[in-house]
Amino acid sequence: MSSPSKRREMDLMKLMMSDYKVEMINDGMQEFYVHFHGPSDSPYHGGVWRIRVELPDAYPYKSPSIGFVNKIYHPNVDEMSGSVCLDVINQTWSPMFDLVNVFEVFLPQLLLYPNPSDPLNGEAAALMMRDRTAYEQRVKEYCEKYAKPEDVGAAPEEKSSDEEELSEDDYDSSDEAVAGQADP
Amino acid sequence: MEMEIELVLSSSLHYMLPRKRAVGGEAVVAEGEEDNCSAGSLKKPRISTATTGTTETTGNVNSNSNSNSSIGNNNSNHSRGDAKPPIMALGEGNPPDIDEDLHSRQLAVYGRETMRRLFASNVLISGMQGLGAEIAKNLILAGVKSVTLHDEGSVELWDLSSNFIFTEDDVGKNRALASVQKLQELNNSVVISTLTTELTKEQLSDFQAVVFTNISIEKAIEFDDYCHNHQPPISFIKSEVRGLFGSVFCDFGPEFTVFDVDGEDPHTGIIASISNDNPALVACVDDERLEFQDGDLVVFSEVQGMTELNDGKPRKVKNARPYSFSLDEDTTNYGAYEKGGIVTQVKQPKVLNFKPLKEALKDPGDFLQSDFSKFDRSPLLHLAFQALDKFIMELGRFPVAGSEEDAQKLISFACNINDSSTVGKLEKIDQKLLHHFTFGARAVLNPMAAMFGGVVGQEVVKACSGKFHPLFQFFYFDSVESLPTEPLDPSDLKPINSRYDAQISVFGAKLQKKLEDAKVFIVGSGALGCEFLKNVALMGVCCGNQGKLIITDDDVIEKSNLSRQFLFRDWNIGQAKSTVAASAAASINRRLHIEALQNRASPETENVFDDTFWENLSVVINALDNVNARLYIDQRCLYFQKPLLESGTLGAKCNTQMVIPHLTENYGASRDPPEKQAPMCTVHSFPHNIDHCLTWARSEFEGLLEKTPAEVNAFLVNPIEYASAMKNAGDAQARDNLERVIECLDKERCETFQDCITWARLKFEDYFANRVKQLTFTFPEDAATSNGAPFWSAPKRFPRPLQFSIDDPGQLHFVMAASVLRAETFGIPIPDWVKSPMKFADAVSKVIVPDFLPKKDVKIVTDEKATSLSTASVDDAAVINELIMKLEKCQKKLPPGFRMNPIQFEKKGLLIHKNSAGWRGTDFDKLDKANKKDFTKNTLEEESTEAYASRTDENKCTLEEKSLVFRDPHSPTQLDYDGKKIPRKRGVITQDS
Repeated sequence: MSSPSKRREMDLMKLMMSDYKVEMINDGMQEFYVHFHGPSDSPYHGGVWRIRVELPDAYPYKSPSIGFVNKIYHPNVDEMSGSVCLDVINQTWSPMFDLVNVFEVFLPQLLLYPNPSDPLNGEAAALMMRDRTAYEQRVKEYCEKYAKPEDVGAAPEEKSSDEEELSEDDYDSSDEAVAGQADP
Repeated sequence: MEMEIELVLSSSLHYMLPRKRAVGGEAVVAEGEEDNCSAGSLKKPRISTATTGTTETTGNVNSNSNSNSSIGNNNSNHSRGDAKPPIMALGEGNPPDIDEDLHSRQLAVYGRETMRRLFASNVLISGMQGLGAEIAKNLILAGVKSVTLHDEGSVELWDLSSNFIFTEDDVGKNRALASVQKLQELNNSVVISTLTTELTKEQLSDFQAVVFTNISIEKAIEFDDYCHNHQPPISFIKSEVRGLFGSVFCDFGPEFTVFDVDGEDPHTGIIASISNDNPALVACVDDERLEFQDGDLVVFSEVQGMTELNDGKPRKVKNARPYSFSLDEDTTNYGAYEKGGIVTQVKQPKVLNFKPLKEALKDPGDFLQSDFSKFDRSPLLHLAFQALDKFIMELGRFPVAGSEEDAQKLISFACNINDSSTVGKLEKIDQKLLHHFTFGARAVLNPMAAMFGGVVGQEVVKACSGKFHPLFQFFYFDSVESLPTEPLDPSDLKPINSRYDAQISVFGAKLQKKLEDAKVFIVGSGALGCEFLKNVALMGVCCGNQGKLIITDDDVIEKSNLSRQFLFRDWNIGQAKSTVAASAAASINRRLHIEALQNRASPETENVFDDTFWENLSVVINALDNVNARLYIDQRCLYFQKPLLESGTLGAKCNTQMVIPHLTENYGASRDPPEKQAPMCTVHSFPHNIDHCLTWARSEFEGLLEKTPAEVNAFLVNPIEYASAMKNAGDAQARDNLERVIECLDKERCETFQDCITWARLKFEDYFANRVKQLTFTFPEDAATSNGAPFWSAPKRFPRPLQFSIDDPGQLHFVMAASVLRAETFGIPIPDWVKSPMKFADAVSKVIVPDFLPKKDVKIVTDEKATSLSTASVDDAAVINELIMKLEKCQKKLPPGFRMNPIQFEKKGLLIHKNSAGWRGTDFDKLDKANKKDFTKNTLEEESTEAYASRTDENKCTLEEKSLVFRDPHSPTQLDYDGKKIPRKRGVITQDS
């Protein structure tokens, strides 16, 4: 039972050594957020997403579960839940892969080359197939709205002190000030 | 001798039976008529005759009128009919001849046709010592039509080592007669009768299968010849257990047809292209490997373009490759392949030519191997069993344990037989092994009887049903490793006039004492637990003054348990499993010191199962149904350095593992690779195989009926804490949870049963119509991808919405099951009229279903829920705040103390009893799947719906499960008749709730 947990530590360490920003959710090294930047040659450039990573008990034999926390417009990412449909992090996952692969290769590739033939966000896929320009426009709108670096960057500080109820107000105000709360 | 003068007309009865292996509807009709006859004839005054073939039924035992054979099929059919709610008529139109509550697990493995054949079979079991009793138990639980027990001898103290039916009080009674009552309790709908005088071969014509457990070879050859040449042939099985050795021989006749050799679903493939060529090349999509083999027959359907292939004609596969194969057909002039198409394997029946025993003894052919490290053992045992037969014929007795003289005698018989054999003569005879064989020859040991009882029971099922490949033809097995490494002192093997004498003759009195004083912990009291308790009680484990057995299980008995958890009776339904099992085990052996607990073994119960408890144990036996509990117990055993006996079953497959501290690896040390998951997008919108539909159905079930109600309760128990937890999380998941909770408590909250029907009906519309309409609106049938290829190309399949109709029993059943489950979660009582399809259909018709309008503006589609709350809600935190406010409002409207009842998927069997309405919880999923099937335009045939339900159930069980035994610690053998490798822990997800 000890080796999988060692592997977990090592993979996480490697991720941090590669300069990814990692926020732990619990102490268990099972769940954490990783900041992910949209690849520069894609319409997602400039956007930053918090990716929720959960390492199952059987990791690395079982794939990590990966989800976008803030919204992204992409044919293979569910808009509501942020879940990702990508073979290498689901069916064809292999214990040879690690988290650095996920963030250096798999996710950037996914954003560079969406696959509208197997959509999770059908509407995004349909738009991409019908009208590429409109689709890219929509992607950029979403980045503007939901994936601003400063919004994502602001969150971790709130998270670290969120044990009391007070902090939630902080969290709300700081986070909402930009877009949300005043609107309705 | 009252019994002897009473004759029952069972022979005339059998005369009217449909002939063996009658197929399909005819058999069912005939069976019905037969039932009436049998009831009639049994009531006739009994006429005394003195013919040789005196047949006696249960009725002969006047002292217990409740076990009278009139409890047979007829009565119980009636009672079953009454108990069955009319709603069952909604089913697939099968005659109501299978008690689906009782046999649900079995049905899942065997399927309906096999069960029906089984229910029409009459079986003879001759020799009612330990092995006979086990076989009888298994077949009676499985529910054959009748079992006739034959034994001319009387119960000896010696028999109590292996026979769970007999007690000390039975010593001196005829074995068959002494067995009837307790066996009848196992299943009232099986007719059990007895024969207590010498059999004649003509009597065998009353049966479809005959089993002999204690018969000379000479007699066996005579009977087998008769059976082999009978029209139609009678399946003949001979099996023996002698000490640590066992044998089975099967002869199902000169031409026996196996309809389904493995019980697996036919393989299928989704076509990507077919060439116009000779031979034609068929390529399939590359997401699943094809499992066809050269020579397989396949049929095509749904092929567009090359429609000539859709004629349903089976075609032969050549050059089978992982993703393609060739067809031996010239398609040059056929239409050009356009798209679509499914290729499905046609399962071929297999004809087996059994040799009669007389020939097979001389030329046994290939033996079935169970342990490849003993590959040369079977020919030797083939000799040994013949030598033993000769020994008994010549000396009129069994060899004596520890007698060197007897051993030498047997060895010389074996050598003689070997010398005179023409085929497969052995060069060397292992004398040491034959010593062991001789010494134990008289003993029938319980674990061996239990194991062979399972094997033989399964062979009878195969003989009667033609499903699964039969044992062809000899099987030998030994467990000499169970003996101590140092030779035992012959004086230690002498009988001491106790019920354990047979066991002592093999293992010695010292080991017996050790067993009796053992402290054992059995975790779980289900199918495996019941078997283990019986085995432990018979072996005398924990029966000494120092001995103590603790069994724990937090579950209660359900009807579906009764078909295999044989210590339970129908009057025990609702009682704690461990308690009932413990008292049943104590009645098998009064000296058993047993304590029953109802604690789940988990980290939460370490105050009960504390350090002192663990330190005192000698051995732990797992009888669990899930991996997590197994891993937990394994960790505890590892920590306290206790041996662990582990096992699991899955359908007709099973495995066992011995974990011995400092000798073997522990259970958790190795793991099965995780099962392949289907991609999410496929499961959600583009399912193309049954597993996708199953995954989807199960996840919907859990979301709607388990997780959301649990989430609602989490909120209601402590609203403030819940709200702040959600705010802290602040992510999409939290928002999603909140939305579900609100939906459940506000818009979709149910207060009456009619509300539940409305909810269920709208769910149907959403799942099977609206979602399809939306999807096909977004991607019309002619949609093309960016590069112009059709979007709907293999493996994606274009779906069509379902049009709900109350006249479709499947659809109505779905709505009913969903309403009932929904009502359960809200604690709403389920009215009786639900059982009437008419009334229920009326209620469903009242539901107003809004017209569906596809969402045209893409923006609205995706943001629908969010926009309904706040037009500009951009991020989760804001939405969460709003949702929480809304939730607090909802809460005020709820009655005080309101809670929901989450329903566990695995526990859905419980529903059956709770609403005693007779539909199965599985139906929800089954139909769900069935409908999902339409949704995907899946062409899989009806039978796969059943296969589905079974897989959904993950709860399969067959005879093997009833007969797991303790194996020796050194060989973690995986026994599988078809020679297939069993994944080590497949069994773990199985078993019952």
